[in-house]
Amino acid sequence: MAILVKFFGDLAKKVSHKESSIESPFNLKIESQGIEYVVDILKKYSIEKSETSHIFVNGGYAGFKKKVKDGDRVGIFPKNMGLLYKWYFTRHEDD
Amino acid sequence: MKFLPKRILRVNMSKLETSFEDFPVDYAALGGRALTSTIVSKEVDPTCHPLGPNNKLVFAPGIVTGTVAPTSGRISVGGKSPLTGGIKEANAGTNFAQRLARMQISAIIVEGQPKGDDYHMLKVSMDKIEFVNANKHIGKGLYEVYKDLFKGFGNKVSICACGIAGELMGAASGICFNDPEGLPSRYAGRGGLGAVMASKGLKFIVIDDTGAPGVEIKNKELFDQGREKLRKALAEHDVTKPDGALASYGTAVLVNIINEAGGLPQKNFSSGQDDRSANISGEKKAEEIEKRGGTRPHHCSPGCVIRCSEVWTKPGGKDPVGVLEYESVWSLGANCSIYDLDTIGELNRACNDLGLDTIEAGDTIAVAMEGGMVKFGDGKGALKLMDEIQKKTPTGRILANGCAFTGQAFGVTRVPVVKGQGLPAYDPRSIKGIGVTYATTPMGADHTAGYAIATEIMGVGGEADPRDTNKSELSRNLQVATAYLDSTGYCLFTAFAVLDIPEGLEGMIQSINGVLGTEVDLTELGMKVITTERNFNKATGFTVADDRLPEFLRQEPVAPYNEVFDVPDEELDKVWGA
Repeated sequence: MAILVKFFGDLAKKVSHKESSIESPFNLKIESQGIEYVVDILKKYSIEKSETSHIFVNGGYAGFKKKVKDGDRVGIFPKNMGLLYKWYFTRHEDD
Repeated sequence: MKFLPKRILRVNMSKLETSFEDFPVDYAALGGRALTSTIVSKEVDPTCHPLGPNNKLVFAPGIVTGTVAPTSGRISVGGKSPLTGGIKEANAGTNFAQRLARMQISAIIVEGQPKGDDYHMLKVSMDKIEFVNANKHIGKGLYEVYKDLFKGFGNKVSICACGIAGELMGAASGICFNDPEGLPSRYAGRGGLGAVMASKGLKFIVIDDTGAPGVEIKNKELFDQGREKLRKALAEHDVTKPDGALASYGTAVLVNIINEAGGLPQKNFSSGQDDRSANISGEKKAEEIEKRGGTRPHHCSPGCVIRCSEVWTKPGGKDPVGVLEYESVWSLGANCSIYDLDTIGELNRACNDLGLDTIEAGDTIAVAMEGGMVKFGDGKGALKLMDEIQKKTPTGRILANGCAFTGQAFGVTRVPVVKGQGLPAYDPRSIKGIGVTYATTPMGADHTAGYAIATEIMGVGGEADPRDTNKSELSRNLQVATAYLDSTGYCLFTAFAVLDIPEGLEGMIQSINGVLGTEVDLTELGMKVITTERNFNKATGFTVADDRLPEFLRQEPVAPYNEVFDVPDEELDKVWGA
């Protein structure tokens, strides 16, 4: 069992180290050891929060502090695929 | 330039006569959807046959269309819909709208019906209006026809047309406008208005605005202040800025996002997620367009700063199609289990060529697949279905009438329609607010009528939990705001910036008030438009029973998150207080 993480757009480029072509999403199955929240996945791949926009955990719209566990599917979209609201938007920082 | 007041061009197709009328004082603050719906409501008998002599087809540019206000090249087309049986407004971004507005023509009202089978072209210029027999273009694809017409008229005209689907009186037909390259790719697609145009023997409208005086702006200082604030907001916002989501990837940026949300309908709404969707995503499409030498980003009409459009081509940059919108990629792709952009491109080309609404066409193909006509995923089979329409066979006539009609013809019970109109690209079981809009808009299933997705997934204009069922207020507010926006001439996508940036909204309102020289209340105008449309629908016989989603969406859980559409009927009825 592992966590399925899907990086989209420019984040797929960054994590896969492929600059010439986008394989979007770039899928990774990662061990859950040491990964408790979404933000831990970002840290693992040196991704700043400001580089991201939409995050989904099992289809639910999630924030950085959303807990993740084995078997979860996590989708992380880059800033330039974001359709986010600058001033009023706050993510669900559940758990 | 000599002052020319706004006017209405009335076109009598029974007599092949035209006349200009003064723009009524009552209509002074109206444009776009507000104007088309008001005229249809006043002049069309709600009980008339949509394809008979008593229906009318109304074209109206928005209030600021034709000015230098950014991203404002929209035209609204209205009439009684042969698809829904109710009132219809469909709109498109095209320089046709801008030319019409610059000629101070606030509306074209097409009425009557000629005897016989002749088709006509209406050519409108500043000094002359004429009818030209258009029979030689009957049965021809619009790519060939547009090429011929632009060759004949030059590139300083704009063209509107109905296609073969319209000639068949097909309720899935749309009204086609040209893009800046002259491709027949900008559609007021929904509701079968192409058939209404064809039923009047009107094949084309050609607009030549040479010598046009331009749009009168009553308070130029206010207008200039407003448009600059709006331009700044559009340039700043993450969605609409020059390197933002829409310019980078087009509307199909949503494919992967909505798929992750479990709301991208697959295989005729039998699942909300399929990882093959990545093959038809905005990222994939943008990469292919760059590789092939197509165009991205691209504007649908001059002055658009968002530039979500594009020109998709065959490999090698050959045979341009025009834009592949998110909705089209979904309907002709994932919804039919087709995950190949080239096949989707050719299906989209066929729709443009035939004068078909891509959403209705994709829903129709998927239902035909469910009915066993071709297998899901069979792209060649889907293209053969388009050939049936092109050849005007009995099967083609069924398909050209849309999803509900095709479902009936082939005994399919899982038919995704509201008020007879096919559902767009968001599964209402996963994203419930859009389902409330599908159910309650006077238009039939229409995502643009109240873009609940904007708040539910994109986080624009506040936030909402997609799976919460308490959505009536959200949907109502968005429907009212959209009705206002559809009347202004501004593109719906400006809403991303104006909902988020207060100065942007202020600028938009100032620009509108600047053109009109009076103040228009957003909520009041939006609500008035919706009330007018709902009253028309009531007079045709619609009741709250028509404000419901199909049974299978209420009973059949959608994978992978096993949601059903469980918004109670009482919540749906609260939208308009029925």
